[in-house]
Amino acid sequence: MKQATTRKPASAAPRGRLQQWAAGIVLTVFGIAMVLPFVWMVLSAFKTEGEIKRIPPTLWPEAFTVDNFTRLFTEMDFGTYLGNTLLITLFSFVGLLLNAMAGFGFAKYRFKGREKLFLLVLATMMIPGQVTMIPVYLILNGVSLTNTMLGIVLPGFTSAFGIFLFRQFMSTLPEEIMEATRLDGASEYRLFAQVVLPMSKPILAVQAILTFIGGWNSFLWPLIIANDEKLYTLSVGLQLLKGQNTTNFALQMAGAAFMVLPIMVIFIFFQRQIIENYNISGIK
Amino acid sequence: MKGSSKMAPYVFIGPTLLLLAVFSLLPILVALGISLTDMDLAGLADYSSISFVGLANYADVLGDPVFLLALRNTLFYVVIGVPLVIACSLGVALLIQFGRSRLFKVFRVVYYLPSVTNVVAVAVVWSYLYNPGIGLFNYILTSIGFDKVPWLTEPTIAKLSLILLALWRSIGLNMIIFIAALQGIDRSYYEAAQLDGASGWQQLTRITLPMMRFAIFFVTITTMIGWLQFFEEPFVMTQGGPLNGTVSASLFIYQNGFQYSHFGYAAAGSFVLFFLIIAVTMVQLRLQRKQAEE
Amino acid sequence: MDTKRTIAALAAAALAGSLIAGCSSGGSGAEEGKTKLTVWAMGDSSKPMEQMAAAYQKENPDVSIQVQAIPWGSAHDKLLTAVASKKGPDVLQMGTTWMPEFAAAGALADLTADLADYPELAADNFFDGTVTSTQFDGKTVGVPWLAETRVLFYRTDVLQSVGYDHAPKTWDELLDASKKLTERGKDKYGIGLDPKEPTLSFMFARQNGSKLIEDGKAQFDQPAFAETVRYLDGYFKNGYAPVDLGLDTSQTFGGDGMVPMFISGPWMIKTVADQIPDIEGKWATAVLPSKDGNMSSLGGSNLSVFGFTEQKAAAMKFIAFLSKPENQLEWMKQTGELPANKKAWEDPQLSGDPNMAVVGEQLKNAEPMPLVKAWDNISQNFLKTFEEIYRADADIDAKLKDFNEQSQKLLDK
Repeated sequence: MKQATTRKPASAAPRGRLQQWAAGIVLTVFGIAMVLPFVWMVLSAFKTEGEIKRIPPTLWPEAFTVDNFTRLFTEMDFGTYLGNTLLITLFSFVGLLLNAMAGFGFAKYRFKGREKLFLLVLATMMIPGQVTMIPVYLILNGVSLTNTMLGIVLPGFTSAFGIFLFRQFMSTLPEEIMEATRLDGASEYRLFAQVVLPMSKPILAVQAILTFIGGWNSFLWPLIIANDEKLYTLSVGLQLLKGQNTTNFALQMAGAAFMVLPIMVIFIFFQRQIIENYNISGIK
Repeated sequence: MKGSSKMAPYVFIGPTLLLLAVFSLLPILVALGISLTDMDLAGLADYSSISFVGLANYADVLGDPVFLLALRNTLFYVVIGVPLVIACSLGVALLIQFGRSRLFKVFRVVYYLPSVTNVVAVAVVWSYLYNPGIGLFNYILTSIGFDKVPWLTEPTIAKLSLILLALWRSIGLNMIIFIAALQGIDRSYYEAAQLDGASGWQQLTRITLPMMRFAIFFVTITTMIGWLQFFEEPFVMTQGGPLNGTVSASLFIYQNGFQYSHFGYAAAGSFVLFFLIIAVTMVQLRLQRKQAEE
Repeated sequence: MDTKRTIAALAAAALAGSLIAGCSSGGSGAEEGKTKLTVWAMGDSSKPMEQMAAAYQKENPDVSIQVQAIPWGSAHDKLLTAVASKKGPDVLQMGTTWMPEFAAAGALADLTADLADYPELAADNFFDGTVTSTQFDGKTVGVPWLAETRVLFYRTDVLQSVGYDHAPKTWDELLDASKKLTERGKDKYGIGLDPKEPTLSFMFARQNGSKLIEDGKAQFDQPAFAETVRYLDGYFKNGYAPVDLGLDTSQTFGGDGMVPMFISGPWMIKTVADQIPDIEGKWATAVLPSKDGNMSSLGGSNLSVFGFTEQKAAAMKFIAFLSKPENQLEWMKQTGELPANKKAWEDPQLSGDPNMAVVGEQLKNAEPMPLVKAWDNISQNFLKTFEEIYRADADIDAKLKDFNEQSQKLLDK
């Protein structure tokens, strides 16, 4: 944005083009650095283990091999893991709605204990995860939720991060529109569903992307809660491919590349469908 | 507010609070209890063998020179990393949003990719980039006549190298939050400003940044908390070495507590970090409130 | 809005579906009347374990075995929760280093009295070192299953070029060979000693006569140990062993032998053969060079019965099946992991392979690391101590004194 400091507004068109180019070039240069490791990961997935370890390293695979991907399918109970992963991801979208509700509650109402309760919510993201792992497990065990899908998804259902994000954004929503809806006789719940949620599309999209990634990569609880491989997820499956003493990097790259694909699709989908649509409707 | 809607806020936050209470707050209380005991693996199997030790774990962990070093390292990470992350992701978001060409939409994906790249792949690729002998960075440096840099083998440089890696990983997430915030700004403000003849820079500082303060506040707080818990980068890249140069508070707690099942000690360390994070967050909340009042 | 509705509908369907799944998993002992055994297999070995289980069930139709794979990296967490809830498998594979910790917590059943019923499990069927690793507090808490030990890998051609037509046989020869190999030129080294390998120094110290821990007393400030640290430190200080090379063995062992010797486990035999095919016939393995002895460090895993199981007898029977030499060989064929059963090593697959024969020879003289529950902690502490010595040039005696006190504290806990 530094380029935006030129003074004269008169010759707007050519100056604007120059700035566009400058921004594009800056983003391209850093973009290459950003994307290189990712490209490397994808290309490595098509290399043999021997080629991955060669010095000097090759960027482009000498001979493309899909061996690593085949092994992923043959050595993992792939179908089951994929199904579980999808199920957990879907579940976490229920959590998304709960987080949005809570964020709205904290953003737009004044009620007793609001500040203290919100601090309590924030506090839950300040404690290192490992310290609560065993207590959470014992609680789930106490209510007989081990070895169930519900037990796997419940601990990660709500997140302070999500609530906080929703609160921050919903507090910027204009009060006038909400008041107008109330005057029309709408209940608070209709207000939330029909006015607040549609107006929060950009942040819903962001949180949807994050929720998807979280669900898609879920690892710890599926592993700990499951007493049966039938409840394992893709991430757990990938970890299983790791040997005790030797690591097959090509195979891991293939797994990582494969797992990141749906995330990219979802990301592109959400940013197209929601962020850009909103952009249009936002200009009144 | 109408009488019937008095209950509404509690209905909105109720389910979430209940879940958080059961799966986050209660476990935190249990962990607080554990931090006052000498619980280890045997204690986990048989509660009767656990004994109460008061604040001994806290005294031990605060007297551990490595833990104090880990806290200092963590501070180093936070002080350098947090402003960098915020500035870079905000800058990238503004530049992307500034662009009118279709190409800029591609950049959103490009800058987002690092944050979804699996950590195993990240470790492999960056280990190669930082490799002292054959790494890409040193290869470039030596071929343009500079000396090799001990990226991960000199304590201070290693910390900076990990910050660079973490920065690379975290730009994407914060960038999409900033972009979402930018999308939310009503275009009419800009139209009015342009009519008044405001320059691009003035529009940025007078409209964009103030309108984004909620997003900036969110990113600051969450980034700060995240960096105070800095763990994954040293865990996969250096295991805290060289000479404890990159060990962070979280990594120390993990290695010295959970790996060896000294649960009491680990819990005490976790709470020291926890209180530290609370203190830092409270200060930020205060500052924000003051700003809002002004 | 449509997408949202679809998502909501799918989520509702998923919820319903999984609740059903939750119910049915409760009653999944579908085959009534059968003894149900759960087995935890580590890492990528669940497929071969399922095959073993299938073979066993053929012989024992009244048993149904369920195998669950546990990733190595998270096995400790998974075991912790099993101990906490006392719900776990019936049979589990345990890495030798974790045995003392979990045995002390009562997570591993005492098998001492049961062993007599199973001739397959008699101690003299297995290498002595592997049997040692199953003992804790005078009880037998496991049965040897897989064994590995460290041996010397070296490039025959490169060593010949500096006048060695055999592998270094003593500490002095190893040092001398390393020196000559390093003097070949720039970016050339003698031997790859991984300073971050937790067993390295302890293994060498034992060869120098150190007991490491004797009667609950740490021996790390004694001359035998200090002398070893000095000896190893010399390799790093003189540049005979690289410190921050950052390269994988498969990158340094081939070609003209940047690092023409290294000490590692048997899994490297396959790795070297697969990944550096161009040096075929130019490398070999040898038992470790000796000082007072050449005892190596023993690793691998044991099979144990979970302490809170109700099916100990059925579990033991399955373990006895797995321990038969022919089944151990079958396992090796599937996974490349080496048997702990001595009889299995007489098979030509092992005795006929010169590299494997070396490993078999070394296994006869290999011991696990001391079986105290704090060992993991002690050995990780040592890595940090050692780093300050080889990297920051700290005073060896002072550092070892500190380390000894620190270790004693952990032992006394």
